[in-house]
Amino acid sequence: MRSIFSQVRFYLYAILTTSMVTIPLYFLRGYLNTSTIALIYLLPVLLSTTSWGLGPGLVAGFAAFLTYNYFFLPPYNTLIVGHPQDILSLVVFFGVAILTSQLVGRAKQNLTAAMERERELARLYELSVALAGANGLEAIARVVLNQATDAFCATFAVIQVQAFSGGEAFEVWSEPLDLSPGRLPTVVSPLQTARGLIGEIRLWRGEVPLTPSEAKLLQTFATQGALALEREALLQAETRAKVLEESDRLKSALLSSVPHELRTPLATIKASVTSLLSGEVDWDSQSRQDLLETVDEETDDLNRLVGNLLDMSRIEAGALQPARQWNELEEIIDGALKRMRHAIEGYQIELDLPDNLPLIPVDFMEIQRVFVNLLSNSTKYASPGTMIQIKARVRDPEWVWVQVTNQGPPVASEHLDHIFEKFYRVTNADEITGTGLGLSICKGIIEAHSGCIWAENLTDRFAFSILLPRIWEGKSISMAGVEAT
Amino acid sequence: MSSGPHILVIDDEPQILRALKTILSAKRFQVSTASRGEEGLALAAANPPDLIILDLGLPDMDGITVCSRLREWTRLPIIVLSVRENERDKVRALDAGADDYLAKPFGIEELLARIRVALRHSAQAQGDQESLIRAGDLTIDLTRHVVTLAGEEVKLTATEFKLLAYLAQNAGRVLTHQGILNKVWGFEYVDNVEYLRVFMSNLRRKLEKDPKKPHYLLSEPGVGYRFSLGE
Repeated sequence: MRSIFSQVRFYLYAILTTSMVTIPLYFLRGYLNTSTIALIYLLPVLLSTTSWGLGPGLVAGFAAFLTYNYFFLPPYNTLIVGHPQDILSLVVFFGVAILTSQLVGRAKQNLTAAMERERELARLYELSVALAGANGLEAIARVVLNQATDAFCATFAVIQVQAFSGGEAFEVWSEPLDLSPGRLPTVVSPLQTARGLIGEIRLWRGEVPLTPSEAKLLQTFATQGALALEREALLQAETRAKVLEESDRLKSALLSSVPHELRTPLATIKASVTSLLSGEVDWDSQSRQDLLETVDEETDDLNRLVGNLLDMSRIEAGALQPARQWNELEEIIDGALKRMRHAIEGYQIELDLPDNLPLIPVDFMEIQRVFVNLLSNSTKYASPGTMIQIKARVRDPEWVWVQVTNQGPPVASEHLDHIFEKFYRVTNADEITGTGLGLSICKGIIEAHSGCIWAENLTDRFAFSILLPRIWEGKSISMAGVEAT
Repeated sequence: MSSGPHILVIDDEPQILRALKTILSAKRFQVSTASRGEEGLALAAANPPDLIILDLGLPDMDGITVCSRLREWTRLPIIVLSVRENERDKVRALDAGADDYLAKPFGIEELLARIRVALRHSAQAQGDQESLIRAGDLTIDLTRHVVTLAGEEVKLTATEFKLLAYLAQNAGRVLTHQGILNKVWGFEYVDNVEYLRVFMSNLRRKLEKDPKKPHYLLSEPGVGYRFSLGE
């Protein structure tokens, strides 16, 4: 209704403008010749066309044609034209008026269309920029949703995505929620990919339907969104395939190394126990004690090996989610030393932990495993009687630095970067037992805590260094109390 | 038959049952065994033992359920056995009322030590809660709120006293971080382990000769704390 009313208003404006020009011209009629008047009459025609469009321009032209004829071509105040020359100028005027208004009108229409296209392009550009920064199917859908809500001034919007390419079905809704029950969406646009329909966009916006250009833009949005979703889904499928492949590789590597690692302690245990069981030898109490201690140590070893295998599979499956809690580093290290008490018996253990160590936000059991593995590694490479030192310092407000050093031989620099890789062994597997899993588990655990671990040769010893975070949920805690950061 | 304390072992693995029965019998305990949760509960009700050793991985029901079902009617000490991979279950079992825990595989000396502590604690608990707790040269007067160390009074804040009293009243038992926070600070603080750590550190500084090697206020790494009456 409104638009028809405003159209009518524009036509009235056109006639009014023509009349406004007519009035002064009427009084100046004696001083101006007819061709000048015709020229001046082009003004309201052009003005109407540029301001209100082609229709009002044509109306202004027709009105000018009539008033020119009526008031300014003799005989005055009639529509009769006396001179044949005047007929000619009247016809030319009418032709020029219509031609110019059409030209100007078309230029204006082109301008409007160009501006609209530019707006669309800007919208699409924004969409593609926002999409480039989105990771994950839901994030992508959310970006498309937000952009569409903005671009079409929608009051509410929903994107529904079906399960496809191994992903799960989901919906994202715009905020604030508007759930007028039973109200049908203003427009629904399908999310279509080359492989088929994957979902749809539903928009609600009052009573105003979409203009054809808006409908086209929405379609482009839907196409872009569908493409981005499909690309993301394919990427995820590919990652899954890679993880599977990697875990397959891990499994075969484990299968080749584990039986050997399991059999070594089992063989020792079996040999010791059967010796003790056999009635043929009369063991003196010292030998008996030695054999039993061997069994005890070997069972600890087996237990650690099984633990490492489980840890590794958990890290590989991405299932390692540290249950963080505020812990004392000293308590963690004590726990690890207790667990390793048999293995470290022959070593001098030196702890260098300052009194004022802050609490660290870590998973107690996981970090304890790191120290157990580092101690186990140290006992394998450094000979008994040497010193193993654990030292900690507060580096800065964000990190606690911990170093485990042993007096084992230095590791060639080309190996240093690789010793945290799975199954990487610096020495020949026959010389030192182990699966090559311990250090990679340490790395996995420390990285799950967003810390870091590295190895280095010091002048007379070998060192593992760890940085552990002090800040969690925006605060750090010293034993004196809570500090917000 | 020996007349030592009666221990009920609930575990589904026959090898473990066999080994424990042999070892504990040799140590002059009376031993009965159950391989399923329901069976264990029935045995415990029919002939209440002095102590229960409970494996958390049972075929018919959750060990934690067994724990809380037992706690509905008895205060007898429960020691739970867990495998290393289910460490979080161990904390849940302690919160469900277990007194102590041991991770498989364990050394038998360790198990015997835990059994001794649990039996002594339960003997004390049966003699009703006294208002005066003595541990070495430490005395805690629960009614007058006074703590003395080698005859000298130690000044404690209200929260410190509440914490110490709760630990001491449960001497020998492993109390989980969450359990202590719930009891001393209140339910809404169960996740604020940092409070507990700071207060424990203060208590140790005031009560222990060497706070780094505590004698009374022992840490149960990753699980909680235990008050020791001193051996």
